[in-house]
Formats: sequence, structure tokens, C-alpha cells
Amino acid sequence: MIELRDLTFSYTNPDGSLVSETPQLNRVNLKITKGEFVLVCGPTGSGKSTFLKTLNGLAPSFTGGVITGELLIDGLNLIGSEPHEFAHLVGYVNQQPEGAFVADTVIDEIVYGAEQLGLSIPAIKQSIDEIAPLLDIAELLERPLVTLSGGQQQRVAIAAALIAGQKILLLDEPTSALDHEGANEVLRVLRNLAHDRGVTVLLAEHRISRVIGAVDSVLVVHGDGSITKGAPQSQFNDNRFAPPIIELGLKLGWNPLPTNNSEATKLWQSGKHSIEAKKLAPASKEVVTLQDLKVSFGTVTALEETNLCLFGNQITALMGENGSGKTTLCWAIQGSGTITSGKVTTSFGDTSSMAAENRLDVLAMVPQRAADLLFLNSLSAELTESDRFANVKPGSTASLFQKLAGRIDTAIHPRDLSAGQQLALVLAIQLVKDAKVLILDEPTRGLDYAAKRALARQLNSIRATDRAVLIATHDIEFVAMVADRVLVLEKGRLVQDGLPTDLLSSGNPLASQIAEITREPALITIEQVLS
Amino acid sequence: MSVTSQKAHLLRANKTNPASWWIAGISLSLVSSLTGNLLVLISICIGTMLTVFLARDESPWARSIGFYLKLATIVVFLRVVFRIIFNLGTATSDAFLLLPSLEFDVGFGNTIHLFGPMSELSLVAAFTDGFRLAAIILSVGMANSLANPRKILKATPGALYEIATAISIAINLAPQLISSLNRVRRARSLRGRSKGIRSLAGIVIPVLEDTIEQSMALAASMSARGFGRRGKRTALQILIARLLGFLAVCLCVTGVVLLLISPDQQFIDLAIVFLGLVAAAFTIRISSTKATRTRFRTEPWRLGDLVVFAVSITLLLLAFGGAFAA
Repeated sequence: MIELRDLTFSYTNPDGSLVSETPQLNRVNLKITKGEFVLVCGPTGSGKSTFLKTLNGLAPSFTGGVITGELLIDGLNLIGSEPHEFAHLVGYVNQQPEGAFVADTVIDEIVYGAEQLGLSIPAIKQSIDEIAPLLDIAELLERPLVTLSGGQQQRVAIAAALIAGQKILLLDEPTSALDHEGANEVLRVLRNLAHDRGVTVLLAEHRISRVIGAVDSVLVVHGDGSITKGAPQSQFNDNRFAPPIIELGLKLGWNPLPTNNSEATKLWQSGKHSIEAKKLAPASKEVVTLQDLKVSFGTVTALEETNLCLFGNQITALMGENGSGKTTLCWAIQGSGTITSGKVTTSFGDTSSMAAENRLDVLAMVPQRAADLLFLNSLSAELTESDRFANVKPGSTASLFQKLAGRIDTAIHPRDLSAGQQLALVLAIQLVKDAKVLILDEPTRGLDYAAKRALARQLNSIRATDRAVLIATHDIEFVAMVADRVLVLEKGRLVQDGLPTDLLSSGNPLASQIAEITREPALITIEQVLS
Repeated sequence: MSVTSQKAHLLRANKTNPASWWIAGISLSLVSSLTGNLLVLISICIGTMLTVFLARDESPWARSIGFYLKLATIVVFLRVVFRIIFNLGTATSDAFLLLPSLEFDVGFGNTIHLFGPMSELSLVAAFTDGFRLAAIILSVGMANSLANPRKILKATPGALYEIATAISIAINLAPQLISSLNRVRRARSLRGRSKGIRSLAGIVIPVLEDTIEQSMALAASMSARGFGRRGKRTALQILIARLLGFLAVCLCVTGVVLLLISPDQQFIDLAIVFLGLVAAAFTIRISSTKATRTRFRTEPWRLGDLVVFAVSITLLLLAFGGAFAA
């Protein structure tokens, strides 16, 4: 279905010179067969998005750069063609469906591609009748897109990408913005498309744990220009991005490595293991207090009256579906968000009445769209500015950034960093300030497991100095790794407040992968498994 | 349902064709530039604002009207203040605003007059100039706040692929700029401000980058789904289409500029604009011969559109009539 022969892609500067000596993709040769479900993974910033974009002409058309070699799709060499020349063969879905929607209602959005390709009206009707039930959106056709949940929007985007009978589907982190439930819906649909419908699916993902069991093969973009492809078991010798199941298998010496949970459970239950209890930090004094805090926007209540304390020495995870009020709560604590009634106090004063500059000494926050904080024109300038502003030793931000994202040429423009690298940079800038309260809104999007582990270590050392940390996230594995306490919001209401070893343990909707495999009480992370 | 809410319902932005709001916006800007009547200009300002508040929905672009309103207010204010400061006409008998005159000797026998008594006429003229610009800004603002940019984008002729992509990015720019401005401003306060020019850069650069990135993402998504696809055309067809397109743009721009600067030869100017439009139509016609698009559902023209049309065309005719008579 797809065959690459010596495919080489390099980014170029505006003057036409190459950005780097080593091409982004260097003489890649590989084949993907019809109906194959392929997971595309690799370390943060290795070029997964770029690789996907070369397969439908978006790179170099929309990214700049030069491409050489052969790109055979269904036997046709399409190298150097414009994206619209690929449109009838390849469907493309990106991370944020709402940014790529061209219409207002589901049906208008879905038919757009078919209209552009000139399908006849009866053909379009037939195609809708086939695809809508498959993606479970038949009831949503007349709904405005903005009223849909994230998972529903993403399924609409998939339907829109396949409306003209495209046999190849490329997805660039389609679940990274979705909650647990939404992500599972999308993945279930993808499995059906590949296995029952013969659609070739290439899926780039960071949260590998939940897809590893479903894919036929794994393609690793290494970041040095090379790409390897093989069976899921064989591709994770680099543990920068190995999911917990593979880590567990490697740690316990299982051979062959299991890739789905039920196989792993059998192996686990057939052996004897020693495990240790998870070390959870006890709460020290109250640092942030919410009293009857309520937030509404117009007639919509985003957060119902909430009473809550955040304690020093503790990392608190805030979980809940998309739209449950996590971000609203973060901004309200930060002090610049809307507060309808009630109040937020910190042991350092009331943040909402502080001047913005004074607030910075008390509180540091990383918002969801981290790149909004970057404004200088080189990585080195951003790092120096951060040291100067935080009043720390020159090089402090740089060394923290390197821990999170590895070594990167500092002459690069921050906008040319990958989404994960940008996030790592903003995390470094905000963590280096050593504020008393730290709020992180979705701090793991686009980060590989190594970066997440580095972030977890950093947060552990920060919390030890009597700091309070709040993390709003969907990332269960990350919560299992770092959290001392877990809060769950549901439709603006705080419905659960407990220990991660309870809420993330086996049998719970938020169970971590290790918990699902081992089915042992209070066992949620790989670190707890000793042998 | 009361009468007023029915009217509001009729014009609801999501119930009207987005193209009709742009037609209204453009007609009203034309009317504003043709008329010299302060009352008419003020009515246009008020009318456009009322229309927006009656017809707008909850969409993000509907909020952009606040920005246009601020801009219009600043323009009127500046125009009048400048006229008072650089008051060249020294009113004597019919002085309306008695301000002391300042004179500066700038050497070489030249002096600069500032302030000084002002006649009612020149004050009215200043307000007229200011409100004319304000009315044009608000007319465009009305179209931008009420017309759903995504629907316009769907309606752009794919035949003019390169231009259409540019247009789709441009149309989306203003609403997106405004929505990302608020977000970035809040995010920036998290980092701490630098002083002076840098603090401005801290807002402007992420906003611009974000806006352009979003527009590009949309354009990429459209392209990946086949937007801009067309059948093979001969080199001659492409050449003719390009030349004709260039001619069309030149004629339209020349005609409109002439119309605005010398309203006394309106027949010739209008003829030039008309020729430009004809050329544009032919360009699209030639480019579209091999286009393969279908329309699953067409955007219907409803009663609300008819109302918007009728009002804007009537105003336009009246304005032309008035300009001729004068």
C-alpha cells in the first residue's frame, strides 16, 4: 500500500540552505501493507509528525524543505506532489480537530472532502451511510461541531478523512487532548477500521500503553534520520519511549515480551513477585485553601461550590473528563481566572488581589498552550531571559531543560521545536523560579516516557522543599508515577479525593496499566515491582 | 414570540448567508465614503452596531466587534483633536470654539499656528471626516463579526487556488487574532514582564505566530482533503487566466480609487469597475472549466438575506443619487 524507497527529507532555511547536516529523514526504505495498523513512535522531537506529513505531501508543501526518493502509494510515485493530489488516497487527522474544521455542523464537515474531490451526490450519500455508523456518529450528523465532546470531534475528523473512500489514514496524536473515555472510543474505531475495513492506519502516539496491544507493527522514528519497523515486541530496546507493559516485561525478563494486558496478566500470575508499597508524601501545612469557590461563565456553571486544601510537600493530581472544570480551577487558583463567588487564599496572601508581578513570586503555572509563553527568537535567548528573570545562576534553566528534553542546539528558533520540546522549555522556565505553589495544566502532552520520568524526578525534588504542586492531567501513567493525592472532577463537581494507590488501582476506571496487568491491590507503578 | 424577537430571529447570523453580510458591509462602506452628511454617517455607525447586537451569536468572531468599536472611537477622537490643534482656518466672525492661538517661530521666517478660534463649520467637518472613517470601520467590523468565516471559506472558488488559500487565511486572521490576543495576554502574565519594547514583543510575537499557525493548520487541513484540486489545463489556459485575473484586479482597484478621489466622473469610474468585475468573472470561468467540485448542500438564501440585501442596495442607490445631485 505504501512503499518508501530512499526517502530523504531535510528542512531548509528561507535562503534555501539546509537547516542541519543530517536530514530529518535519511534514505528511509520501508513497506506498509494494506490493512496494517501501525503505531508510529519515537522520542520527543524525533520527527514523527514530519514523517506522517511526508506521506501526504503536507511536508514539504506546508512545512518547507526538500524531499527526494520515491514515495509509492498504491503503486503510484507521488513524490513532490501537492497535498490535494494525495487527497483521494490518504486521509489525515491532526492533534486538534477543532483547528482543522472547515464547517459548523457535522455533516457539512464530513462531506467537505467528498465535495472537493467531485464525488456525485448519490455517492456522497452512500458514503455517509456507510461511514457514520462505523464511527458511531450517525446520531450526531446535524449537530454543530462545537457542541461535541473531544472524542466525538475526533471521530468526526476521522469520518471526514475517509469520506471519499481513502484507504490510508494518518493520525498525528489524535488522542493527546482527549480524556480516558474519549481516547478509548477513538482507538476502538481505529482498530475496527484497520482490521474489518482494510484501512491502512498509521498512528503517531506518545501514550503507547493503551495502543500497544492493538497494533500490528511498530515504526520507530529515531530522530537521527533513521526509521525502523518491526513487530511490537522488537521495537522497544530504547526505553526512552517504552510503555509500562514493556518495561515490566524487560524488568522481569519475560520472553517473548507480551504486548497486551491479558497476556501479561497470565505471565504475572504464573510467577512469584516481591513488591513494595508506594511511597506517598504526607501532607504538611495548608498552602492553598479554596472556600466555596464557584465559577460560572454566563449561564454555564464551570465549577460548582468547591472547598479544598492543597498541602505543602504534596503533589496533587487533578483528573476528570474534558470540560469537567480542571483548567477553570487552575486559573482560579492562579488568580487571574474568573471567580464568581467564594475565595482562594494562599498562606502567602490572596492571589486574586495581588499585582501580577507579586503573584509570580508565590505561584508559577504552565498553561495548556505552553508555547504562548515563548516570544524570543532563539532557544538560547529564552534560556538566558529565564535565568535573568528568575534571578538564578546563568545556565540553570538550560540544565533543567536538558534534563527534560535532551541536548538541543540552542540557536534554533523556539517555534521550530516540537510540541513536546516547547512544553519542556516552558516547564523548565517555570520550574526554575522555585515558586511556592506550582500549577501544571496538562504538562505531559507530547513528552516521551523518559521526559516524563525526568519531570517526575524534578517535581519530587521540588515538593520536598515544602512546595505545593497541582497537576491537571489525563495522563494516568504520569499520575501513578508522581501523585501523592488524586482529585477527580465531574461536570464541575469534585467527586473524589483520595490516594492514587486507591483510585488508580486495579478495577477502577482510572486504573494504571501496571494495576490492570498485576491486579494486585495498591500496586500502580513499575517502581513498586522489585522482582 | 414578540415582533422584535422575530425580527432578531430573521437576521440571526447563523440563519443568514454569510455573503450577504459582506455585501451589506461593503455597500455601507461605499455609502459612507460617498456621503458628506454627518447625520447619515452617525446613523450608519449606530445602525451597524445595532445590527450586530441584534443578529450576533455566541461565536468567537462575534466578539471582535468590541475591537472595531474601540478602533472607531479612537479614530473619531484623533480626527477631531488633530483638527483643533492644527487649526489652520482662523475663524473670525463665526467663531464657535474660542481657543487662544499659539504661534511658534520655526526660523526662516516661518511660523506654526496651533489652536486658535474655530468655526462651527470646521468642527462639523472634522466630525464628518472622523465619523466617515468610523462608519467604514464599523461596516467592515459588522461583516466580520456576523459572517461566519468558515462558511465564506467553503464558498471561495477553488478554481483560484493560490488566491483562495491566501484569502481564506486572511479572512480567518482577524477573528483569530482577537481570540488569541486574550489568551496570550493572560499566559504572558505567568512568565513575568520585561520592560519596554520587549514586553510588547512578548504579546505581539506569540499572537501573530499563533494566528498564522492556526490559519496555516486550517489551510493544510483543506488542502489535505482536496481543496484546490482541478483538472489538467493547458499552459495557454493558465496564462490567459493569470493575465485576465491581473487585469481584473487592476481595473477594480483603479476604478474604486478614482471613485473615491474624484466623485465627479462617476460614470467612467463605475464603468471601469464594471469591466474589472466582468474580467474577474471570465477568469473564474476559465479557471473553473476543469474543476471537479460538487456541492452536497448549498447555502440557502433566506428571507433575512433578502432584507439585508434590499436595505444595503437601497442605501447605496440613495447615496449615489445624492452624490450625483450634489
